[in-house]
Amino acid sequence: MTWIACELHTHTFHSDGRQSLNELALGAKALGFDCIALTDHNTMAGLARKEQIERETGLLIIPGMEWTTFFGHMVIIGVKDYQDWRRVGPGDIHAGLARVHEQGGLAGMAHPFRPGSPMCTGCFWEFEIRDWNEIDYIEVWSTTFAPVKKNNIRAYRLWTDKLNEGFRLAATSGRDWHLQERTDAPLSVTYLRIQEGEAPFTERAIEALSSGRVSVTLGPRLDLEVNVNGEVYQIGDAVKGSDERERLASVKVLADFTSRHEHWHLPEQSFTVSLKSNLGVLSEHAAMPEQLPLHTEISVQGLLWMRAELWGIIQGVRTLIAFTNAIYFD
Amino acid sequence: MKKVIVDARGRVTPASSKSHIIHRFFLASAGGRLGINFWYGPKQLEDLEKARTLVERSIDLYFEEETIAQAKAHFKSYLPLNNLITVSVDSPNGHLGAAHRHDPEQFLHISRHEASPGLVCGDIVAGMWEVTLSLHAIVTDYCEYSLQIWQEEEAAQ
Ligand SMILES: [Zn+2]
Ligand SMILES: [Zn+2]
Repeated sequence: MTWIACELHTHTFHSDGRQSLNELALGAKALGFDCIALTDHNTMAGLARKEQIERETGLLIIPGMEWTTFFGHMVIIGVKDYQDWRRVGPGDIHAGLARVHEQGGLAGMAHPFRPGSPMCTGCFWEFEIRDWNEIDYIEVWSTTFAPVKKNNIRAYRLWTDKLNEGFRLAATSGRDWHLQERTDAPLSVTYLRIQEGEAPFTERAIEALSSGRVSVTLGPRLDLEVNVNGEVYQIGDAVKGSDERERLASVKVLADFTSRHEHWHLPEQSFTVSLKSNLGVLSEHAAMPEQLPLHTEISVQGLLWMRAELWGIIQGVRTLIAFTNAIYFD
Repeated sequence: MKKVIVDARGRVTPASSKSHIIHRFFLASAGGRLGINFWYGPKQLEDLEKARTLVERSIDLYFEEETIAQAKAHFKSYLPLNNLITVSVDSPNGHLGAAHRHDPEQFLHISRHEASPGLVCGDIVAGMWEVTLSLHAIVTDYCEYSLQIWQEEEAAQ
């Protein structure tokens, strides 16, 4: 399996973006991305030249759209055909989700806490969710310099709450990228860990996101491994249950400071590597990049999930810099 | 030759926010291209006090308690408030896309060979067509719109 750098929320002039798919693809390539999802508002017309642009730019493109409804914005990716949003009312989102899943696609809540109507109708998620198992992911980091923004901190908390309730759903970033402009603001990357193989790329990307093999960052790519009784589990995996009462796991947190390193800058510093779970903070260590990977032992008693977080200073602000998706415990 | 099929004007108020207006019309003959000219206005809510009231109401709804006061102090960062109406098209054979844009005036067209951004090419077939106006936000006391739809010969390729 390989980690690939993705930007999962983008627009072209086929909706309200100010760029062509070709300009978007070239821009993404120049920023070190391997893949984007095109998520224009309520149309898939922008994908007409997808294969040609993929060949010419070397960038992979996941087809999608942003359901820009009156009651919530929902990014749907990996769908083959347009899905109609216009008849969906605030209590009907599960019918929409079923159609997305029937098509082999995934659905994520886009920027769920961005202020809504009348500033931006539907930007705040108001759909009633009766079964959180149907939500595949939450875009917890929206726009640039995402982790310092209140809406995103709230979305990250929502994700954590749902993990605590026992749901297994992924968390991603999305720039909501509308035009090519120079910016010094830190950019988020969603890394997906993709299976090699003959299957079409979109299918493998969807499988990775659906399995929670996801790591999100402003800089280095964070990774997490758990070893229980000699078995190694990766991000997205579920550690099998066991009868033994006192179980210990050895946990390894890794960070790849070489991935896309020419596209981000972090001052030299001691970072904080934190292991979070449904039981709160499991461990916290200060570490210089050269001190990683970090090894620690924890008890898995009562654990439902665990993730790694990297905290530090970027552009003068102390903030969350990277987080992995969860490893679960049966 | 240009054959006008729909020529409508309308006036909506904030009560119509989050609703759709569907124009369903019959094309008697196939072929050529479909043209759509859509306009609405005013675009912006100019009245600062009204805008402030709307923004504050929205902040009460969408912000967490401890951030409300600060957000209200910066209510101007959410201005101007705009009306937003978008256009989508359905042929008798299926959906032909949407033009989700903020421009208050749009000239759109569809034919077998080409289509405006957001719309997809499709045969102009005879039968019942639909053009949907989606009223995402109406913030002014009233908003007027006009919609003309016509069928014409396609320019030579
Ligand atoms: Zn959106
Ligand atoms: Zn968007």
